[in-house]
Amino acid sequence: MKKKIVSVLLVATMLSTMVSGCGKTAGSGGTVNAEGIKEFTAFFAVPGSEINDDNEVQKLIAEKTGCKVKETWLTGQTAEEAVGTLIAGGEYPDFIDGGNGSVQLYEAGALVPLDDYIDKYPNIKEFFTEQEWDQLRQSDGHIYWIPQFSNIYGEERACTHNDEAFWIQTRVLEWAGYPEIHTMDQYFDLIEDYYEANPTMEDGTENIPYTILCDDWRYFCLENAPEFLDGYPNDGSVIVDPDTLTVIDYNTTDTAVKYFKKLNEEYKKGIVDPESFTQTYDEYIAKLSTGRVLGMIDQWWDFAYTAEDAIKSAGLDDQGCQYVPLPITIEEGMTNQWHNSGGVLNVSSGLAITTSCQDVEGALQFVNDLLGQEVHDLRFWGVEGTDYLVGDDGMYYRTQEMRDQASDTAYKASHTCSYSYFPQWTGTSRDGKNAMKSDGQETEFYDGLSDSIKKCFDAYGVKTYVEMLGTSPAPGSWYPMYTFSSSMTTSTPGGTAWTLMGEIKHQYLPKVVMADDFDAGWDEYMKAYNECHPEDFISEMQTELERRVAEAAKYE
Amino acid sequence: MKKKSFTMVDVRHQRVLLIWAAAIVVYGVIFYYLPLAGWLMAFQDFKPVTGIFHSKFIGLDKFIRLFSDATFLRVIRNTLAMGVINLAVTFFMAILFAILLNEVASKGGKKVVQTISYLPHFLSWIIVTGILHDALSGTGIINQVLVNLNVIDQPINFFAHEQYFWPIVAFANVWKETGWNAIIYLAAITAIDPSLYEAASIDGAGRWQKIKNVTLPGIKPTIMILLLMNVGNVLNAGFEIQYLLGNGLVVNVSQTIDIYVLKWGISQGDYALGTAAGIFKSVVSIVLIVVCNHIAKKHGEERLF
Repeated sequence: MKKKIVSVLLVATMLSTMVSGCGKTAGSGGTVNAEGIKEFTAFFAVPGSEINDDNEVQKLIAEKTGCKVKETWLTGQTAEEAVGTLIAGGEYPDFIDGGNGSVQLYEAGALVPLDDYIDKYPNIKEFFTEQEWDQLRQSDGHIYWIPQFSNIYGEERACTHNDEAFWIQTRVLEWAGYPEIHTMDQYFDLIEDYYEANPTMEDGTENIPYTILCDDWRYFCLENAPEFLDGYPNDGSVIVDPDTLTVIDYNTTDTAVKYFKKLNEEYKKGIVDPESFTQTYDEYIAKLSTGRVLGMIDQWWDFAYTAEDAIKSAGLDDQGCQYVPLPITIEEGMTNQWHNSGGVLNVSSGLAITTSCQDVEGALQFVNDLLGQEVHDLRFWGVEGTDYLVGDDGMYYRTQEMRDQASDTAYKASHTCSYSYFPQWTGTSRDGKNAMKSDGQETEFYDGLSDSIKKCFDAYGVKTYVEMLGTSPAPGSWYPMYTFSSSMTTSTPGGTAWTLMGEIKHQYLPKVVMADDFDAGWDEYMKAYNECHPEDFISEMQTELERRVAEAAKYE
Repeated sequence: MKKKSFTMVDVRHQRVLLIWAAAIVVYGVIFYYLPLAGWLMAFQDFKPVTGIFHSKFIGLDKFIRLFSDATFLRVIRNTLAMGVINLAVTFFMAILFAILLNEVASKGGKKVVQTISYLPHFLSWIIVTGILHDALSGTGIINQVLVNLNVIDQPINFFAHEQYFWPIVAFANVWKETGWNAIIYLAAITAIDPSLYEAASIDGAGRWQKIKNVTLPGIKPTIMILLLMNVGNVLNAGFEIQYLLGNGLVVNVSQTIDIYVLKWGISQGDYALGTAAGIFKSVVSIVLIVVCNHIAKKHGEERLF
């Protein structure tokens, strides 16, 4: 008996270390169900919400295309963990977007090269120019994935600023008489003044002046502001000087020191939320949803569809708890590039088809059909008459009731199906009038805004979020560099440096902000930072920058 | 003992048992021994595309890499520290709790307390960490109580300081597992012959004397066996709780071997390195058990093998 206990125990500990990597089995790949509809599976390595099995629009799309895709999303893991587990198991869904784990999927031989197929599908072919398709080629010369987002058809129609910014609640701006805020100092002065005069909300809940999300990969809310403050766009991991075409490390610039010093001062004053560095993403969203937080840095997509919607449905928009972006730079009079016009081709990930898929042509046909105008309208506008109406001039619009139901979670699950991680257009519809997506329809967008946002926009003389910031064209053919850094792996010195830099920043940046003696804290941080050999990372980025510029020159 | 020769008659008599044994052996080989082949990965430059049969053999490179990595050494320290603290605290608390519960005269009260105390065992760690996160937050109950009692002026941000992390983990383990672990000791106590207590009473032993001289010696074999088994588990100091409660500020003390394996083996795709770290963990666990068992044997105590 004793022996048995021991052997079971030993074996259990051994098993806990096993990662078995053998045995490839086929995925469900285009099985045809009873109604003659082909069913595919898809996994997207991002968090998302699943729709109901009897979703209405999904059914309509299935009738038109003959296909249906069961989508699953990331839950409680990172993208790399999920992808690593899939690779170890050797079984894949038909469609996959591995996010930051895409390169791992490619290296594991899990993806089907698409270049031989693309020409057969006009809508897919049309999706990118020849140059863009070439940019997607991996080291073996094949194309494996199709980036889904930020691709503009016809004229660009941007109303929301989908990216990063310093956000502030409209009530703060209204209280101060809608001042022009251009620098970090002005921004924090405004927040301090407001907080002093209004320590609580209307119902007595205490306001939180400024919070910083620092959870895992979302720590960009703390980390990458120095590049924007210096007037550079979101190259993400580095600054690129457009004149000299050199890569600059934004972690060590004077602006970075000033930015973190400011945060340190505000932390000591009690303006920065003391829970900033220990809160999880969910806690952060819950906090924002109560309307207590006056301002923060974040990406619009990171809070808009959760916290901002919650604020709206709780009626807190009347109290001015919704957020607008501010054009902030480190000094007065600089051009900011928080918002860039034009599409962004994120070559580092996209929709791919796996080797487990047994009907590659059927799968691609479905992608092709999703890009057709009629199905595209179903995905992003909904059903005519139910979700939108068509005016005499051919323009789509919504009633208030339709807008409300469009942001209702239960309705979204039972009715809406945008296949949101399949390729999609923004910009102008093929009819030349409407926007490809409802959030790009200017009149509809403005009419759908709450009164407090409208009032704020009117005071600044703007109509959209984008106009709050102003816009600049994308800086050059290399943009954005983060598509390279996010596909780096630890197999190169630069990639290893990049991983270590991330760890050190995760650990030390909060310490720097909370330090009693900022200068000492900063020196300690810089010492640890330099031990990661950031120069290895920078030099690989420089090589990639030069490669991209040279590559682009071929097409001029 | 003299070995008896095994005849065909015995085989016929025990054929059912033999068939069962054969089935278990096959099961063991398939599910426990064959997967051990996966350990080969640790000695290869393993790539999923080439698989275990065609990856390049690189010997001990991954192990060398592992032990020259300061992070891994720190991770071993964290795992050992948290493992030992958790073992000591939960082990002690479970015995203490079982003995105290045994002394409760009211049968109903005892049942209620016992049931409630082992309920947390059935909560998943994600819920426990959620409760901890709330209770220990700046506006959480712990800080409110401490501030109102004037123990501290300002709420403490418990998750922002390295020195609180291990105690929080230990406390969470105690809260979650004490009731559950106590069950086995309670069972052992019930098995003690009541006449021993009667005899002790006649000899004039009080409550404390009875605990010391009857209860504790009575459950000593159970204690020894469980201690030995738990020592082998020291390196399983936990994964979920550290993974869920950790953040950038406390990463130096919060990462365990399991998190390291997940991060390098799965996330970064270095399956070989992950396997090497896993092998290290298994080997250390086996060594720990063998050594402890040997010590127990030497002192003539109850032991596993």
